[in-house]
Amino acid sequence: MKKWVYVVLVLVICGLFLKACVHRDYPETEKTHTSVQNDVEYVNFPPSQKTVTINGVEYLQSQAPIGKFGGEIHASTIGEGPKTFNPFNSKDNISSLMSDVMYDGLLSTDAQTGEPIPKLAKSFEVNGNNYIIKLRKGAKWSDGKEITADDVVFTWQNIIFDGYGNTSTRDSLVIDGQLPTVQKIDKYTVKFSTIKPFAPFIRMLSTPIAPKHIFEPAVKKGKDYFYTFLSTNTDPKTFVTSGAFRLKEYVPAQRVVFERNPNYYIINKNNQKLPYLDRLVYFIVGDLNNEVLKFEGGEIDVINLQGANVARFKEREAHSDYKIYNLGPNTGTMFLSMNLNDRKNKDGKFYVNPIKQSWFRDVNFRLACDYAIDRKNMVLNIANGLGEPLYTAESLNSIFLNKKLEPYPKSTEKAKEYLKKSGFVWDKKGHLLDKSGNHVEFDLFTNAGNTEREAIGVMVKQDLEDLGMKVNFKPVEFNTLVNKLVNTLDWDMVIMGLTGSPLEPNGGKNVWMSDGTLHMFNQRLEGDENSRRFDWEKEIDEMYTKGALATSFEERKKYYDEYQRIAYEQKPFIYIYSPIIITAIRTKFKNIFPSSLTGITYNLEEIYIDK
Amino acid sequence: MQILIYILKRILQSIPLLIIVSILSFFIIRLSPVDPLAELRLNPSVSKETLQKETERLGLDKPIIVQYGKWASSFLRGDLGITSNGEQVSTKLKERIPNTLLLAVVVIFMTWIVGVPLGVLAALKWKSPLDRVLTVLTSIGMAIPSFFFAVLLLLFAVKTGWFPVGGLTSSNFAEMSFGGKIWDLVHHLVLPVTVLFTISLASLQRQMRANLLDVLDSDYVKFAKAKGLSEFKVVYKHALRNAINPMITLLGFEFAGLLSGAALTEYVFQYPGLGRLILEAVLRSDINLVMASLMMGAIMLILGNLIADILLIITDPRIRVKGGAA
Repeated sequence: MKKWVYVVLVLVICGLFLKACVHRDYPETEKTHTSVQNDVEYVNFPPSQKTVTINGVEYLQSQAPIGKFGGEIHASTIGEGPKTFNPFNSKDNISSLMSDVMYDGLLSTDAQTGEPIPKLAKSFEVNGNNYIIKLRKGAKWSDGKEITADDVVFTWQNIIFDGYGNTSTRDSLVIDGQLPTVQKIDKYTVKFSTIKPFAPFIRMLSTPIAPKHIFEPAVKKGKDYFYTFLSTNTDPKTFVTSGAFRLKEYVPAQRVVFERNPNYYIINKNNQKLPYLDRLVYFIVGDLNNEVLKFEGGEIDVINLQGANVARFKEREAHSDYKIYNLGPNTGTMFLSMNLNDRKNKDGKFYVNPIKQSWFRDVNFRLACDYAIDRKNMVLNIANGLGEPLYTAESLNSIFLNKKLEPYPKSTEKAKEYLKKSGFVWDKKGHLLDKSGNHVEFDLFTNAGNTEREAIGVMVKQDLEDLGMKVNFKPVEFNTLVNKLVNTLDWDMVIMGLTGSPLEPNGGKNVWMSDGTLHMFNQRLEGDENSRRFDWEKEIDEMYTKGALATSFEERKKYYDEYQRIAYEQKPFIYIYSPIIITAIRTKFKNIFPSSLTGITYNLEEIYIDK
Repeated sequence: MQILIYILKRILQSIPLLIIVSILSFFIIRLSPVDPLAELRLNPSVSKETLQKETERLGLDKPIIVQYGKWASSFLRGDLGITSNGEQVSTKLKERIPNTLLLAVVVIFMTWIVGVPLGVLAALKWKSPLDRVLTVLTSIGMAIPSFFFAVLLLLFAVKTGWFPVGGLTSSNFAEMSFGGKIWDLVHHLVLPVTVLFTISLASLQRQMRANLLDVLDSDYVKFAKAKGLSEFKVVYKHALRNAINPMITLLGFEFAGLLSGAALTEYVFQYPGLGRLILEAVLRSDINLVMASLMMGAIMLILGNLIADILLIITDPRIRVKGGAA
């Protein structure tokens, strides 16, 4: 009799736990994607900020509605938190985000049009290869010192051009072996000159400017010291910033707290110094799930939502204290790529089996694969409908997107036609054979652990097997995959993703130039730089070079349109889709003007709280 | 005096052990295919020159033997080196050690305060309903995976809003009064402590119960009872003292676990402890940080065993005699 009671007790307790799991899984799967598919809504942007002079100080005046001072906003970053607070050392997104909050650049980007606009600079002028930058009289660092041409020249000459910290900015500015020059004209004027007109340079001017009086001693101590300068161990009080906020506290693995910079140079229409918010807190959270829980628990105010969470939050939006914004497709591109390499490694062996080379290097084969892939289905099933099918090399929100390149639906018939053109045949069982009678069979890699790419891999495998190919899908560990892609080059097909910039295609130089460090589909290692190239590779090289040297937007667009057309026809990358960014933010925050180019909190100084 | 010689012997014995541990772990980490620069390599905006400089800075261009030699010589000089982000490993560890210690000490203290008496109680009331209920409860405690339990509690915190969702301090911690700070810490600690407490309580309680049952069944206890000693004296003066010996060895292991942290629980609760730091370091092959934590773990284990053995010498005269003879 007693035993019976214990058995029931155990069962009941187990049952309770099971109940907790079952309950959570059910309703989510039943939801359809339709409720979320609202289009990017129309945002009523305020007029651009303009310069006004008060008591001899040239402020930048926000034209957004006037708000209330006080309060704080809680945001979050996923991962380990910032690795450095030195804007010139940062190599990861989170560190860059932190330095962007603290240090303003000369120029910034218009959220609506994507054009460069003055920020720390009062105005800028471009004459061919000369850039004249006028600074704001009386704009101050957070410690009260004036921001002058000396700071700008010091930043560019002594930090960037002299190769301190992460030298990627510097390396991308070398034209014909020479760096641009920077010169102080007077206390508030600086002149930059490039050897030739070089369009991407204007975007580089949004690089943060460093306070000379703080950074100079560090620079004098050499590059090794500079690498540890302003690391995460630095006392927050020593930071001197030009941005809307300055560092208050960094608690490792928990949060970064910023407080308002009392000397900020942006004012509102009542001529009161911004920002409105007293504090900005970034919580450091380990993963997506924890971030969602923190948002639900009310600990953070703004979050990027993904997958099934979007539907869940959208459903509750009406009765909640947050609003969900659809920012449109992001700069991420998911693609399938084949290894077009026809070279031999140091041991005299081909990186890619010559039989497979003959398939991958055949444009008809690539087009066949392209037509076989069902992008819409993937968007619906993998991205929960939160993605846009992608056919172009530039991302969908890019201002350089070639809109003439039309999307097309999946077509197995077309795919088979292309295969027949190149002499592929099918045997009785429906297996695909090439001209010489070899079975078409290859490996498809992606990085294990990335559930999205793994799901894409499974669907790509199915789609390609409909054509009679045999695809061995092998998710491998991320590091192993990177090693394959950039060192050993022993891969056939891969599903990868890269992020680009919606404003400047030249950032993709390392991927598209035939000698680039990330020219994955035909990676040339050291010693192979002068090997044979496809004609279209040479054409893309030309378009990229010309596109960087042209100055007017229209002219540049022509070259970049052309490179996108070549990529669209030759399919070195078979693009699949771009995810859509969905952001939720509490409704108490006003002056929110979301933009697909710059996100939702780019105008931190204008955001205020109104309950 | 004898004890001092014994301690010295033990320390000398542990040196080769530490060397072997360090060599093994260093080579295993370096020979694994984890490339600390993999993320950078796939970033289109990072230039070839930057990658080259990073490789040199981290010493990845040198043979593993040379890398190990460099690490070992600076380790002996007391310098733990820098992390792959350029921060001092020692500062990095110092940031986290107090947090992990806080969690571990609270948990160990609570489990012992609750677990040992419960074990004694269960043994004394052997086969009574109380014992049965305790057995069922501890079985459940042992059976729930810590990860799962932690997630459940986290969901509970979100739904009720009674507890903060992870972390150790609130964002306005710096401005709180002393009392407020303590309350804030307690508030954040409740859930992670509950998870770890539930799980370690079970094994401790059962261990204690089994030990005491063994001892209670032995002849000398029966003899003492037959002699007419009071139940209280038999149990608390004679039986308990003998039953506690294995627990001391257990305490030695717990000491070793003080700093190795409960990585899974820390991860779920976003607790800023060592476990999470080391997990992240291993994932990106941050060699100096991983090595420092592994060596720390090894040293703590040796120390923990040493302390347990010394405590045993003190509590158990039999060992003292044997130790003296050897």
